[in-house]
Amino acid sequence: MRRIYAYIISVLFTHFSMISPLVAQDTIDFPLKLKIGLEVSGPVEYYTNKNILKTEGFISADLDEKRTVILSAGFVNYKYSQYNYDYLNKGYFLRTGVDFNLLNPEKSQGRYWAGIGFHYGLSRFTSETPSFSQDNYWGTTASSIPTRSSWGHFLEATPGIKTEIFKNVSIGWAISLRILLYTGTAKDLRPIYFPGYGSGGKKTSTEISYWLTWNIPFKKIMVITRKPAPEESDDSGDNGSAASQPATGIRQ
Amino acid sequence: MRKFVPGRIYFFLSGVMLLCLSCAPQTCYENTDAMVNASLYLNSSGKLKAPDSLTVYGVNMETNKLVDKIKGVTVVNLPLDAAATSCTYVIRINDINDTIRFVYDSSPHLVSKECGYTFYHNLVPDSLTYTKHKIVSISVSKSSITTTNEENIRIYY
Repeated sequence: MRRIYAYIISVLFTHFSMISPLVAQDTIDFPLKLKIGLEVSGPVEYYTNKNILKTEGFISADLDEKRTVILSAGFVNYKYSQYNYDYLNKGYFLRTGVDFNLLNPEKSQGRYWAGIGFHYGLSRFTSETPSFSQDNYWGTTASSIPTRSSWGHFLEATPGIKTEIFKNVSIGWAISLRILLYTGTAKDLRPIYFPGYGSGGKKTSTEISYWLTWNIPFKKIMVITRKPAPEESDDSGDNGSAASQPATGIRQ
Repeated sequence: MRKFVPGRIYFFLSGVMLLCLSCAPQTCYENTDAMVNASLYLNSSGKLKAPDSLTVYGVNMETNKLVDKIKGVTVVNLPLDAAATSCTYVIRINDINDTIRFVYDSSPHLVSKECGYTFYHNLVPDSLTYTKHKIVSISVSKSSITTTNEENIRIYY
């Protein structure tokens, strides 16, 4: 009986040792990370312009080497004044969605990110126009619009880049291209600005954000960076050209 | 494996460049005046026709005329007083005076961040009153008075 087992094991060993060159593939250990980030331009901008205070942070988790699920939240206190009106807006916002890293895993190594995120945003805010005036033929008419609360909804696409500058610390920037879905207000009194979206008077808005991120590796996965060579056909003598085609995949 | 480092200098410069691009100046280009667009029609032909002479001013505003003895005008734009619920214009067509009184509601409207707010108005139904020295009749085409360039009333003379 012992000899039979030894024979079976030796046969299996021989079999796998023969086919293993055919399934040879390149893999890398790819670290999945939990990321906690802070938008840094908002507080810096506040020191130069006291009329707008923006704070925003995010938490995200890598699903695999390409996709990251993200949740961000922030607070905005916005004041604007010009010759014919004053405007105040204050509130919170949430964004959630998925970021896609367009770099291949060999290049990104979990340290570099260049890609695009697709997010849905929700904003809760109060706005007020303490004073405005209008001049026409009959003279100047002054008025105000009292405080009102609203929910705003928007979608955004966020291309950008992030790079690791120290171990587990990254910096990066992103351009947010936003489409307004709903301001939650009457058409005549759209918010001039609302948290998370920006200029609410327009159907689209753009904004640049600068991020400082702390990365916490929580898992490593093996990512296939080169597909196994296809089994050679009987009438083909060349098995090297197909094996040189690079591709990516995942094996956990 | 080739190490992927995009170049931190390029990285920072690209971000600074974006910051500069975001500093575009803002100017108001939109029309901010909501006015009653009144077209002048010759009653006998029913066609749009400019009177030989047209003068328009608000009651008690004779020193500040909107239009003064002008020729070739078929459409006149009449601003309403947002601080009141009615206002009256004197319209002198071919040296004959008439008055038109508008009664309306006003509500604020955001034009844009750059331009600020204006007032939109809504003419109260059947409230338009006028004298008939030269004017034969007036019809209301559109009672909402906005910044769009649409005809609101037709004055037949």
